[in-house]
Amino acid sequence: MILDLQSYTPNSAEKSNVYDVVIIGGGPAGASAAIYAARADLRTLVIDKGLTAGALGITDKIANYPGVVGPVSGAALVETMRQQATTFGAEFLADKVIGVDFTADPRLIIAGTNTYFARAVVLATGSMGRTSTIPGEAELLGHGVSYCATCDGAFFRNKVVAVVGNNDEALEEALFLTRYAQKVVLVVPTPALTASESLLQEVSTQPGIEIRLSTRVIEIIGESGHVAGLHLRDRAGGDSFLMVSGVFVYLQGGKPIVDYLGSPFEIGANGCLLVDAEMQTSMAGVFAAGDLLCSHVKQAVIAAADGVKAAIAANKYLQGSKVLQADWN
Amino acid sequence: MTLLKDKDRDYLIKEFEGLTNPVKLMLFTNPDECEYCEDTQTIAEEVASLSDKVSLEVCNIEANQDVAARYGIQAFPAIVMLQDGPQPKDFGIRYFGIPAGYEFSSLVHDIVMVGKGETQLTEATKQWLAELKVPVHLQVFVTPTCPYCPQAVLLAHQMAMQSEMIRADMVEATEFPDLAMKYDVMGVPRTVINEDTFVEGAVPEAALLSKMKQALAI
Repeated sequence: MILDLQSYTPNSAEKSNVYDVVIIGGGPAGASAAIYAARADLRTLVIDKGLTAGALGITDKIANYPGVVGPVSGAALVETMRQQATTFGAEFLADKVIGVDFTADPRLIIAGTNTYFARAVVLATGSMGRTSTIPGEAELLGHGVSYCATCDGAFFRNKVVAVVGNNDEALEEALFLTRYAQKVVLVVPTPALTASESLLQEVSTQPGIEIRLSTRVIEIIGESGHVAGLHLRDRAGGDSFLMVSGVFVYLQGGKPIVDYLGSPFEIGANGCLLVDAEMQTSMAGVFAAGDLLCSHVKQAVIAAADGVKAAIAANKYLQGSKVLQADWN
Repeated sequence: MTLLKDKDRDYLIKEFEGLTNPVKLMLFTNPDECEYCEDTQTIAEEVASLSDKVSLEVCNIEANQDVAARYGIQAFPAIVMLQDGPQPKDFGIRYFGIPAGYEFSSLVHDIVMVGKGETQLTEATKQWLAELKVPVHLQVFVTPTCPYCPQAVLLAHQMAMQSEMIRADMVEATEFPDLAMKYDVMGVPRTVINEDTFVEGAVPEAALLSKMKQALAI
């Protein structure tokens, strides 16, 4: 047994976890912001859920990104941007942000495995948040419906569970659940899996995982208040019932992802984030870029440009701030 | 055996230097039927070794039935966190099960909270809690591998510290399957308010407060 202070969030920050800029989201906006922030000699951390967590990462072919003669896959394009940022000293962390406190000084970002501190923040979490829930999902939350396999996997020992979704997160969670569950059925709404090569390989060779492609969950069915099964529909319109005790949902949609913020940000009509001309949100020192912005044209090159503007503004903000601590590098 | 990495140990020693009140951990063990009592004692001993302000008293249930009854302890291992002094103050902060994994950070947070004698609750919440006249029992079910759970535990423990009417338990669900079953826990964190009102997930302060009002019908 090892005791770890991983999620301890003290008032005084540990130096190694303090960054000039923490960027949440590593798509074109976040990675481009990282290139400029790191090049400006700011200690920069990008926290990102995975290569296919966002819109560009799951795009098949890009042929209109200026300067890049395609077609290239979106994932390859994001990967190139990240490598470029890494060259300038930016750090990338594969993790999920579960909470923030931007009123703290320095600002606090709680990720799954650790806590980070930032003098400025760039939000670049995109707009693949869910817009609707599956019938039965809300009623059965905590009674077999879960969004966290590491939290709840132990309750499904030797049971059959389903994982719904098609991204790195869904695949990782499915793999984790094989430790407990008798069988994991991966229900994928699309005709093919989209995830990083190594994850695809691992999932397809794991005997405990059964993959059902082109299948949507129509309803989560409960019995005596607990999940009993899923009403599924395949591409041809054929309906079936899958008996499961638990269902872990990792679906995506088209809504700006701002739910982890919690703090009072100025939000537009459809949940998008409002920024000023310098990409600053309603909170000083917190900038935003990319698809989560209001009236944003959803193109990778525009998200990248937004990210650059946000990084330049963050640098300006930090240089103007009175609490410069140059020894952080 | 030391469980903490040197870096974390040094960090906590420094963090505990800021404590103004002495903090006492009372650990209740039942050596006969308790898978995690020994490990929990090792954790508690290590934490207590980091500061003069933190002390540990281990109470074997066989010899301390009356003490356990006084603190309402029926499951093991259990930790009661007190502000020490000539008359130790019991805020109602309880841990049932091992505070390992992510929950170790809850234990450290609570020591700092009790040792500094202050919560981070908003003024509005403090005011509402000051006027609370009826007892409230919060049970926060967790697993050690749940990154969201400490937020729910800390919120409940802050409420306990702020109000004499509130007792707040962390309950490690996998160690107490009977309790998990009794309260129908299949996902964590799950907070049970006075036996029959349930909160799913690590909700913000205002949301927990509104559920408490609902449970108390006020």
